[in-house]
Amino acid sequence: MNRFHFKNTFILLLLPGIIFLIIFFLSPLIFVLMESFKGAEGGISFIRYREVLSDPQFRFVFIRTLKMALIVTPIAVLVGYPSAYFITKLSSAKKSILMSLVILPLMTSPVARTYAWIVILGKYGIINQSLTSLGILREPARLMYTEGAIIVGLLQLFLPIMILTLVSAMENVQDEVEEAALSLGSGKAGCFFRVIVPLSFDGLILGVTLVFTGSITAYVTPAILGGAKVLTLSTLMRQEALVLMNWEGATVIAVIMILTTLVLYNGLRLFKPRTLV
Amino acid sequence: MKRSKLLLFITAVMFVFLLGPFLVIIISSFSSNAVMRFPPEGFSLQWYRKVLNIEMFRTTFWMSLKTGLAATLTALVLGVPVAYTNVRYRYPGKNILELFFSSPAIVPGLVIGFSLLRFFIYVARIPVLTGLYLGHTAILFPYTVRVVSASLRNFDRGIEEAAVSLGSSPLHAFFAVVLPNIQSGLVAAFILAFITSFNNVPVSLFLTGPGVATLPIQMLVYMEYYFDPTISALSSILIVLTVIIIQSTEKLLGISKYM
Amino acid sequence: MSFIELTNIDAGYIKGNPVLKGFHLSVERGELVSLLGPSGCGKTTTLRTIAGFILAEKGKVVIGGKDYTFMPPNKRNIGLVFQNYALFPHLSVYENVAYGLKRRKVDKKLLPGKISEVLKLVSLTGFEDRLPAQLSGGQRQRVALARSIVIEPDLLLLDEPLSNLDAKLRDEMRAELSRLQHQLGITMIYVTHDQIEALSLSSRIIVMNEGNIEQIGTPEDIYERPSTPFVARFIGFDNHLSGKLLNKTGDKIVIDIDGVKLESRRKSDHLDSLQAGDLVELYFRPGNVILSHKKNKNSLKADIDYLNYQGNTTQYSLHIGSSNIRAVIPGKPVDGDSGQIYLSIAPDKLIVEKKE
Repeated sequence: MNRFHFKNTFILLLLPGIIFLIIFFLSPLIFVLMESFKGAEGGISFIRYREVLSDPQFRFVFIRTLKMALIVTPIAVLVGYPSAYFITKLSSAKKSILMSLVILPLMTSPVARTYAWIVILGKYGIINQSLTSLGILREPARLMYTEGAIIVGLLQLFLPIMILTLVSAMENVQDEVEEAALSLGSGKAGCFFRVIVPLSFDGLILGVTLVFTGSITAYVTPAILGGAKVLTLSTLMRQEALVLMNWEGATVIAVIMILTTLVLYNGLRLFKPRTLV
Repeated sequence: MKRSKLLLFITAVMFVFLLGPFLVIIISSFSSNAVMRFPPEGFSLQWYRKVLNIEMFRTTFWMSLKTGLAATLTALVLGVPVAYTNVRYRYPGKNILELFFSSPAIVPGLVIGFSLLRFFIYVARIPVLTGLYLGHTAILFPYTVRVVSASLRNFDRGIEEAAVSLGSSPLHAFFAVVLPNIQSGLVAAFILAFITSFNNVPVSLFLTGPGVATLPIQMLVYMEYYFDPTISALSSILIVLTVIIIQSTEKLLGISKYM
Repeated sequence: MSFIELTNIDAGYIKGNPVLKGFHLSVERGELVSLLGPSGCGKTTTLRTIAGFILAEKGKVVIGGKDYTFMPPNKRNIGLVFQNYALFPHLSVYENVAYGLKRRKVDKKLLPGKISEVLKLVSLTGFEDRLPAQLSGGQRQRVALARSIVIEPDLLLLDEPLSNLDAKLRDEMRAELSRLQHQLGITMIYVTHDQIEALSLSSRIIVMNEGNIEQIGTPEDIYERPSTPFVARFIGFDNHLSGKLLNKTGDKIVIDIDGVKLESRRKSDHLDSLQAGDLVELYFRPGNVILSHKKNKNSLKADIDYLNYQGNTTQYSLHIGSSNIRAVIPGKPVDGDSGQIYLSIAPDKLIVEKKE
């Protein structure tokens, strides 16, 4: 659009941002990408990928990471949808209070948020203490440093994200549309599945994308709740780089993480409501 | 009626799950026992005293504060003009450029930190602290663009044109008319970006070194060696601060709209 | 040469796809000219080109003898009044009005005097310290007016300034605009889609459609003598019928509509192009008909679809052949009930246009 005669001012406005991102964001990533293809005597080679991909530990961790994201995401949808629907229907004063409660876990230091689960799941944590004092368990069960602990921690982080995206999607569905469906003979459940869900489908896809990719790349939660016993892609990468000083391995894992997120991020967004409804 | 009770029940359980742990951690921070047990035995403030006495927590707190402020301000300076073009201009290739601008929020933070370490610190030999500041700026940039764009979108561009028709240059109109009216968006962007930086672990993880650590990284290090309610006390302080910030900003700015 | 001259302008929002193509416009000093037309007709594009927010791809904009084509909008001395007022929300009424004066580096000592004078002119004395949010819609539009006339613009552009006001306020503001225009003698270009505003305010009306000028004329010209089918329909000649021209003597024309003869007698300069045997369209206003159950002079038989009694008027939905006709008569429905009725139109209320 021709604006103010300064037709090309927008380039000047974009330039600082573009230059910053190219130098301090894009070029390091490209550097790492190129490094990952560097052979032992220079030239292009896939040897580092072959090494990492053939490593049974890497395969195991990669599959475990995907598996946990596959568990976390549907639970987040199943719990998030009814909760988001409930919140959307509230008066704006109540909604504002509940929304600020929803974003609390997102805004709190992830270390503090995750540490709470140690107090709950630890050897002398709430659950073990209650179960042993009730005589259900004779000695404390190991709850920490398990896949289950990581899943619980990830859920606390990603449920709010799912709820936020769903609430903003459902807010766009007018009450009248729903009332019209009810008046046309839909039951409440039928209305939810035939009207609300299709109309908030874009929000659902966005939520699923954010939760799934987030679960795969999360660091603090698996670091604290899984430790070195239950590694995920990100804790494995950190271990390779900072503990084992295997920079080549870490580089390859970094590239694999980017590719996985980019593929998921763009792949999931290809879903359009029409394909399902 | 039955169904809405079911909805209420699910929502209530969800909130207990989300917020219960915060309550647990606050209660445990007042324990008088060094072993983490629940319910805690006795009441004491010793862990809070300990938090304040550990020098590493104090220095890393200041480091986080300084990094957060510097990175947030830089990200705003870079992000506001980009947000402006997002809302006010149409040009070829805009979609691709917008994707590029949001990519620091899509690429895993761990990878961003790792790449900066490999490239700038090992190859270009820049100081770790500078790398930390740059990495944080990069991940905050998409936030500032998004939040400022949202508030610019609500600002009628006719008002800006009125200023120009009355004799303002476009630049003068921006500072005299646009900026004062998107203040709340700027404040919201500042708060969201600052909190994001202050809490960040993945990017900082690779960009810390001897003498350079942020508070969350220091907490993780401490947890590897000690297991007492000190972290509970520190976490409680951070939780209460967060609650205060959210409560005041949600009332003033409706910050959850920008998330 | 006129005060404002747009010559051969190509302008629009997307390069290579201009809304205005080869557009010409001239406006005399002190005139109030309305650009009237439906949305998308190019009237706002014209206004924004004059204001300088759109740069013409081709052609020339000359105002007061000076070439304005490439002049940035902030260097043109043109006042602009927007549909949604576009007041500065963070500035008081006083500061809003002072804005343009300060940009013009007017002596600070003169500001209070100038501002109180213009606020008095728009009857807002005493509102200096209010913020826009504390004003009603009508008051906001007065501030917007004051803000743009205080800079003593060469030209005032108004973009649908009354369309956000309710009906009563709109009447008041219209009268006020008219008074201000006479008092100050400013040249004004007024964009609207509302024919009543255009008719009551303007010295001349320019009816636009799809980037072209359909007709230029005085309000009476436009209302009584629309020169194209588009203008006729836009200005309220809602009904139309197709027929064949039988003969033409002077300004008297006889048309055949499915075997019934209808007479039209109007002064119009474009009747010359009509010839016997031409297929034509007839246009008339819903209010310009007489309904009766007896056959009348110059009448057609119509079927009644339904009618709607509204107190001071009654609306009829009719059809003649395949054409739907709307008729409005004063008072209650015509006595007698039957599915059919005779509709007669005075010859001077019937427009004939060649079928395109």
